[in-house]
Amino acid sequence: MFAPETKFIVVDDFATMRKIIKKVLGELGFKNIEEAEDGKPALEMVKAAAQNGQPFDFIISDWNMPGMQGIEFLKAVRGDASLKHLPFLMVTAEADQKNIIEAAQAGVTDYIVKPFNALTLKSKLEKVYLKVSKKAA
Amino acid sequence: MGAENLKSNHNPLTDKRLIEAFLEGVKKTFETMASTPILAEKASVTVKSETSAAVIGNIGMVSGDMRGFINICFDESTACKVYENMLGESHQSVNNEVADAVGELTNQVYGTAKATLNQMGYAFEMALPSVILGVFRSSSPGGVATLVLPFKLKDSNHRFTVEVSVLS
Repeated sequence: MFAPETKFIVVDDFATMRKIIKKVLGELGFKNIEEAEDGKPALEMVKAAAQNGQPFDFIISDWNMPGMQGIEFLKAVRGDASLKHLPFLMVTAEADQKNIIEAAQAGVTDYIVKPFNALTLKSKLEKVYLKVSKKAA
Repeated sequence: MGAENLKSNHNPLTDKRLIEAFLEGVKKTFETMASTPILAEKASVTVKSETSAAVIGNIGMVSGDMRGFINICFDESTACKVYENMLGESHQSVNNEVADAVGELTNQVYGTAKATLNQMGYAFEMALPSVILGVFRSSSPGGVATLVLPFKLKDSNHRFTVEVSVLS
């Protein structure tokens, strides 16, 4: 599993979801968690953090947001040489097959369909960890 | 299968599959996100000209030529109870945090029902929810055809209503 000091950014336009995801991450031992309410400020935050030498290690983002949508945020991350390696977990109520395919084509690391429980988030994190470790090996 | 495969005289509010998709969407969302078992009460289709509640989660529904909206209507104590079940924090009145949770629940109910319905030939589009806060009464001159789905939180007297209205 990811180290406890792993730095997360949680992006969702609803504070409730950010709070729930932060709570689950906290229960799993992660404390280094920042948040943003839209893709645009989130992209600025991950870029700035990378430039300042304190990069994020993991992005968890909603899809359906009023400003920059999660899919555009994902494409921007994958298109930036300094960010493209970051694990990107999409957590969204968009469960249509076409959305899942679009996210996969854009390079999402994994996908959680809301509603979900703590166990689902935990198992997805483990799955992402295995994927990332395999890639790094 | 696309929306065009649905018959033009198709009335979504009497489509059993639509009713079941929303029932399942509400049940799954509340039980998973808020650990709140719920019981569905008797559904009805009516022409509504008024809606009143302490807090309403609203989301627009568009599928081809069909236009409509969903309202999830809570009284104050039910909204606060659901929030407490979701986040373990108690509030006595509907504040911004409780309202935010109502918006997110609305988003998830619609998202869950939409995924099921789009596999059946509808083509509901992605939409952003909004929350209407405060005791109010909205009215629609002439009324709007509405599917009313009442729910009760298990082992309590807390109730809320999901209203699916079709404008065209």
